[in-house]
Amino acid sequence: MHISLLYGNPNPDDQAFLNYLDGLRSAVSDSHTLDIWDIEKMDIHYCIGCWTCWWETPGRCVHKDDGPDIFKSVIHADLLILASPMMAGFTSSSLKRICDRLIVLLHPYITFIKKECHHWKRYDTYPKIGLLLKKEPDTDKEDLLITRDIYDRFAINFHSRILFMDFIEDTAVDQLIEKTVSIQNAISI
Amino acid sequence: MKLVVFNGSPRRKKSNSKILMEQFLKGYNEIQKDDVPLYYLASMKRMNEYVDAFQHAQTVLFIFPLYTDSMPGVVKFFIEKISELKPFNTKNIGFIVQSGFPEAHHSTYLERYLEKWTRRIQSTYLGTVIRGGVEGIQIQPRSWTRKLFRAFYELGKGFADSGSFHPDIVARLRKPYMLSAPRRLSFRFMALIGLTNYYWNMKLKEHHAYDIRFDRPYMD
Repeated sequence: MHISLLYGNPNPDDQAFLNYLDGLRSAVSDSHTLDIWDIEKMDIHYCIGCWTCWWETPGRCVHKDDGPDIFKSVIHADLLILASPMMAGFTSSSLKRICDRLIVLLHPYITFIKKECHHWKRYDTYPKIGLLLKKEPDTDKEDLLITRDIYDRFAINFHSRILFMDFIEDTAVDQLIEKTVSIQNAISI
Repeated sequence: MKLVVFNGSPRRKKSNSKILMEQFLKGYNEIQKDDVPLYYLASMKRMNEYVDAFQHAQTVLFIFPLYTDSMPGVVKFFIEKISELKPFNTKNIGFIVQSGFPEAHHSTYLERYLEKWTRRIQSTYLGTVIRGGVEGIQIQPRSWTRKLFRAFYELGKGFADSGSFHPDIVARLRKPYMLSAPRRLSFRFMALIGLTNYYWNMKLKEHHAYDIRFDRPYMD
């Protein structure tokens, strides 16, 4: 199974998250491939809404930055893990910065999914999605429900679905690995 | 009322958000004569100035497009900055969210976040105006956009008068919430005769990119 993990955390000293990702990296290295992309350590610009990727160079983003490395990894992945601390009740702006850029992987044409307008696929398959989060001191159930619902919507537009939403303080690395393995089995069935 | 407006569109002064806000402020200035400061969040070099303007405002409006089912990254960045302010001067905050998708439903998940966030920073929530089907207004003939612009003008006028969004205009702008079965059917018919994607095809041809519109460059 190929996993692409986008880690968006504006706080470079968040040792708890970094340790978790290190644990994940060493635990999966034998049985899976795992790309971890630390957005804050890369050159990733904000989407400027120019639509160059839709009508001028179809499928290619206008920015000359590290974006294409991530786009390739994501579109080849079986599982996309979006990792971020909760900030102001939602995932971080760092993660949002790269998620906005993922429209490059879609096509501008419109179709109906669940009786609603959504964009066409550009690629045949898209990875399933998992959310790996870290709570804030004041995170409550409502924040989590809103976040989950927004990402469920994101998944519809991404021709995918959310398989899990876990928290680094609640789910041990081993448990997360177990989960990815069972997902791999489910996908291969 | 010391109103300050933040435009969170990544397209800044070329944005549809700017066009809608111009109409809103035209209506607003019919009643209130104050010169409303307007900041473009995507010009990030001035972020400290924006945070300061936010902190000193009494009433704040945000306008931005729906981006991958929530706020654009720059808007989230700003939200994080102002959530850290201590002490925080409470204020009245309203939002206008516009989308390319025609249905308002897409933006209602973000609406819940915006309401919760306003509560989180202990401010007063003035509501979220949602408008779908906004992509393309810059090339549409005036006769197509007249009603929309009028609604935003009236919305601004009412806001200057009462400090809130008029519920009737908000309800009107929210239509369609979802596309009805007959509208979906006519959409499918238009797709058959090539009208649905007319806008995209026109732009693709303009850029000599029509023949490569299904490219998958990141597959290799």
